[in-house]
Amino acid sequence: MAGVVAAPAGQAGLAAAPARGLPADSTPWLLLAPATLALVILFLLPIGYVLLLSVTDPAVSIAHYRRIFSVPLYTRVLFNTFTTALTVTGVCLLLGYPVAYVMARRSDWVSTALLICVAVCFWTGFIVRTYAWLVILGNKGPVVAVYQAFGFGAPPRLLFTTFSSILGMVHILLPYMVLALYSVMKKIDPNLLRASASLGARPAASFRAVYLPLTLPGVVNGSILVFTICLGFFITPILLGTPKDMMISQLINQQIEELLAWGFASAVAVVLLVATSIVLAVYNRFAGLDRLWG
Amino acid sequence: MTRGGKNVLSRRRVLKTGGAMAAGAAMGPLLLTERTIAQTRTIYVNTWGGSWTAAEEAAFFKPFTDATGIRVRTVAPVSYAKLKAQVQSGTYEWDVTGINQSEWLRAEREGFVEPIDWTIVQKDKLFPNAVFANGIAYCALGTNLAYRSDKFPQGGPKSWADFWDVKKFPGTRSMYNNAPRTLIAAALADGVPIDKVYPLDVERAFKKLDQIKPHIKVWWTQGNQSQQLIRDGETDMIVMWNARASELKEQGHPVELVWNGGMVSTTMWGVAKGAPNRKLAWEFIQFAVQPKPQAEFCNRLFYGPTNPKAFEFVKPEVAKQMPTYEPNAKQMVVTDPDWEAANAAQLQERFTQWLAS
Amino acid sequence: MILAIAVLVALFLIAPILIIIPMSFSTAVSFQFPPPGYSLGYYRAYFASHDWLDPTVNSFIIATASMIVTMLLVVPASFGYVRYRFRGKALFNLLMMSPLIVPHVVAALAYYGYLSSIKLNGTLAGVVLAHGMLAVPVAFLVVCATLKGFDRNLERAAMSAGAGPLRTFFYVTLPVLRPGMMVGALFAFLASFNEAVVAIFISGRDAATLPKKMYESIRLESDPIIAVVSSLLISAVLFGVLLSVVLRRKPANVP
Repeated sequence: MAGVVAAPAGQAGLAAAPARGLPADSTPWLLLAPATLALVILFLLPIGYVLLLSVTDPAVSIAHYRRIFSVPLYTRVLFNTFTTALTVTGVCLLLGYPVAYVMARRSDWVSTALLICVAVCFWTGFIVRTYAWLVILGNKGPVVAVYQAFGFGAPPRLLFTTFSSILGMVHILLPYMVLALYSVMKKIDPNLLRASASLGARPAASFRAVYLPLTLPGVVNGSILVFTICLGFFITPILLGTPKDMMISQLINQQIEELLAWGFASAVAVVLLVATSIVLAVYNRFAGLDRLWG
Repeated sequence: MTRGGKNVLSRRRVLKTGGAMAAGAAMGPLLLTERTIAQTRTIYVNTWGGSWTAAEEAAFFKPFTDATGIRVRTVAPVSYAKLKAQVQSGTYEWDVTGINQSEWLRAEREGFVEPIDWTIVQKDKLFPNAVFANGIAYCALGTNLAYRSDKFPQGGPKSWADFWDVKKFPGTRSMYNNAPRTLIAAALADGVPIDKVYPLDVERAFKKLDQIKPHIKVWWTQGNQSQQLIRDGETDMIVMWNARASELKEQGHPVELVWNGGMVSTTMWGVAKGAPNRKLAWEFIQFAVQPKPQAEFCNRLFYGPTNPKAFEFVKPEVAKQMPTYEPNAKQMVVTDPDWEAANAAQLQERFTQWLAS
Repeated sequence: MILAIAVLVALFLIAPILIIIPMSFSTAVSFQFPPPGYSLGYYRAYFASHDWLDPTVNSFIIATASMIVTMLLVVPASFGYVRYRFRGKALFNLLMMSPLIVPHVVAALAYYGYLSSIKLNGTLAGVVLAHGMLAVPVAFLVVCATLKGFDRNLERAAMSAGAGPLRTFFYVTLPVLRPGMMVGALFAFLASFNEAVVAIFISGRDAATLPKKMYESIRLESDPIIAVVSSLLISAVLFGVLLSVVLRRKPANVP
């Protein structure tokens, strides 16, 4: 009667052990050991190496950290990263909510079509999509062509601006937001809205009083997801943005690629890691991390 | 009995996992050896990409492979930081580089340069002054002002002062993300004569740069990027390498090159310290600096040959479009590798910070 | 009204991606839309270019191998995690999720230093190990979810009907779980195949992946072949998504 895999490892003496494994049983450890070992040796150890470098290269000191928080340029990079991530999250929420709403509330071909758009976008790599924006916003791209066809004269500067960089990031992160919202909205019982309407609430009022609060977990999940990915965003701001809007990961890249300043780059990376961890820890405190990626 | 069966199962799974991992670990070295064997007759050349690599392919790589059987593969882009990183880490991506003279000198002073192998390179086959800091001179390259002639029907900018004059010459501007070139342009724009550039007044140059910074659309890092910017009209005025601008003009794009205030520097061939294929690398360099291949390269991209005998094979109308042509040369700043190599580290750090602020 | 907004946003998502496909048949040397003329020239160039084919092959090798590494770690771990109670369960879960918590650029920096010190930088093995770790959380989430949804009574029924544990596992447990495992494996494959940041830092010359090559080509060359590669990738995604819709599964299992 014991489950196949859950059965305690077969000492005859333990025949009476219950189906759920207990610490005396060595099977879970055998099952967990490979992943644990691999992640410790091949993931945590490298990250620890970065921590170490940040206070030992070129000499043992916390000078790098002092520099990050005292040089105006670097504090500005930190500040800019946070405001950019906030902006992107806000825009994603505004754009994503209606899409997820329609997708969840309808069950016809419109819903399927929207889902296809979101899914295709989601599975297309960052680089491909960033490249698409390079083409679209470029001086020979369709936006400028339309602009000039209407005779507006010289096109505005689109590419390599704060605008293009944020647009690219929104495009890349929007599917995450939509899917996070969708997975919550889909579970909301449509009868709730009907019930609220039958009690005399106007659609707007019942949306505010009933639907919106129910979708809040999705809003929080999507926002945290987008915000934390955006904090460490690397490729899109480099290819579409300007050096003036430098974000943390660009700073890391620049310190390595141009100046080979390993220690300083590591310290910046640690700051980024800590910032991300704080956001996730706060989330974990209130919701539990598991739900975020569920 | 269920217990026993289960036990076998989980053990088997563990064995399987372990076996696959061991197989993976065993395959690693195998792959490595295969690569090493394949590499023995191949050299990797560090190059600028785009038309630079295409010209090298035609002028050097193909004839060299035809003559020796040694294959040439390329890795882009050229970067001092990459040279340093690969020597320090011992993971080599390339053996040979064609790099700016001042960066090469800096690398030599810091110990990232392989000494010339005189058992392979024959001194009597080299031209006078070919050797510098354990590298061999490759070509003379101008970093100049260029502009879209269709955007300036009344006549375009003629100097760095004009480039800085956003009222008289409105339009988008792009510059080279390179500290010394940009600072020299700023100094010239501020009225420093071309023969009084060194030692560079860095403070003064940065002050002048502050004025133009808001008007710079792109700080480009790669030659092809500079070409794309001006070819697609992404920018109206740009700092770029002379041959890259000439190439666009030859292709029929409305691009005009300004010699006045250009900066001429030498590009060097060199080998990374400890590079795995260094013997073959020197063989290649010896081949590439001979008159014919050099001329072949410069006929495609209009940089100046360093080997005087190469001019015999350069078309006269092409020679006039090179930084080595006297009427062009006398309007240009000759860059000083000594000063630049000595100041590169702090200049670059300051410039990088300045760019981001 | 809301529908209109939703449709516009969906267009904003999909249109920029689809625009790449006509670009790939362009005759123009740089990013230009609409293309001045059409040809198959850049497709031919792609299939003749070692500079593009090598990274393509590398990407497939690396994604397949790292998928195997990920699944070898994740499948036993998920069984252990879902079916047993043990001390430190929350901590173990955090460990399994850690690659998702750490920003990729931090992991990239970490692997660069670490793999250099064990001489695996720029090798296929190095990238496989790194990608294998990075895909653990996604695969773990999917496989755990499948396992949690698995009705243990099926196993009990099989056993009480006289099937031995092995038979039960291979004829009941595995077939029921297979779709979930396949999804987990597919996610792990795609996580590696699409991963750019870590690959840019560590894949070097010989193990360069397709995303790395594309990134460099945008930065260095503005090479029109990138439109071809992008179109092929987009077509594959389109095909996959449409297929999953036709098969009436959920088109995108949100990781």
